[in-house]
Amino acid sequence: MTDTDAESDAADRLLLQRMAGGDREALAALYRSYHGRLCRFLARLTRRPDIVEEAINDCFLIVWQKADGFRGDSRASTWIMGVAYRCGLKVLRQHGADPVDQDELPSERFPVDDPDQDRELRDWLSKGMERLSPDQRVVVELVYGVGYKLEDIADLLDCPIGTIKARLFHARVKLRNVLPALAGAACPLTESLS
Amino acid sequence: MKPPYEEPGQECARAWETMPWALQGRAEPERRERMLAHLSQCSACSEEFALQTRLHAAMSLPSDLPIDAEAGLQRLLAQLDAPAPAAAPRPRSGWVLKALAASVLIQAIGLGVLSSRLYSADQRAQQASYRTLSDAAAGAAAGAVRIVPDPRMPLADWNALLRSLQLRVVEGPNGVGAYLVAPTTDADDASARTERIVQRLRSAPGIRMAEPIAAP
Repeated sequence: MTDTDAESDAADRLLLQRMAGGDREALAALYRSYHGRLCRFLARLTRRPDIVEEAINDCFLIVWQKADGFRGDSRASTWIMGVAYRCGLKVLRQHGADPVDQDELPSERFPVDDPDQDRELRDWLSKGMERLSPDQRVVVELVYGVGYKLEDIADLLDCPIGTIKARLFHARVKLRNVLPALAGAACPLTESLS
Repeated sequence: MKPPYEEPGQECARAWETMPWALQGRAEPERRERMLAHLSQCSACSEEFALQTRLHAAMSLPSDLPIDAEAGLQRLLAQLDAPAPAAAPRPRSGWVLKALAASVLIQAIGLGVLSSRLYSADQRAQQASYRTLSDAAAGAAAGAVRIVPDPRMPLADWNALLRSLQLRVVEGPNGVGAYLVAPTTDADDASARTERIVQRLRSAPGIRMAEPIAAP
């Protein structure tokens, strides 16, 4: 765990402690803090906004009710993401895993300030992710989007670490095969590491 | 698992494994430096890392789904204030009802089969009730006697014996070679006559057994 991770985890635990005492301000702070990453994470399971929102609220309802039971065996974020994942699956089972109907989405799907470059990047990612299974998409999101280690993901998804490694490996191979034309347009190698 | 391209050694595999964590800043410095050194010499890994970098950038973009965090939070807070719904008994799901109906049907069929078998067994028991040779045969004539002749007894002797005792064959032979014989004439003292006939039959050569039929 990096220093940043440790600080973030400590802040989350403090909020959970306050929530255990019935502090709704703490709930609101945690909700706002996680909303973006939960949206992105759950959007890997379904593209239906109503299902994503329902899963997020179900997740925070559980987090609110069980905040005093969080023992800290894992990072708070791992626990919350795990609850969100299970809520997402449950809501999907209730609604059926219908593919999203593009006509039901608002015509302005991307934020108005979404620059062309971001839009292109989203489309590129979307094409690749469509080729992955939901399990593979979730692992890719947790590694590249959320930044979790394999051990955290195994804990969160309640899977052996070997299974997570295999899902990541096969997802990477698929992405490498379906997006070769766009790979050459990537940014210079060392730019992101400098 | 190995990376899907040619590798002259283990460096490609190490670089492949290190890439996601290097992009997140989580790779150990030594592994990161080693990967960078390898990338400068390996075009396949360099290409893969370019793809990974782009993937990481794309995954870091905020969600494009139109979901308002504040509206969602207000709904959640309203949900907390809402009275808890009364715990209504959950309706049985369809498969439970089907399973119960199937169970009742199977039990009914089982009871039917069992009853049928018990009835059949009772009938067989009645049909196979134990009978002795002296039991009264249905419709047996008065003074009838069951006799078992020696199979080697000549037919002429058998006929002569029956004639001498004024007997005729009423039934037989059955499975064990027994015959049912009865007097050809009536008598006032049938019981005494039967006794005499039995004595004569028992003493006759070639007759293994002679037994009067009990009165029904």
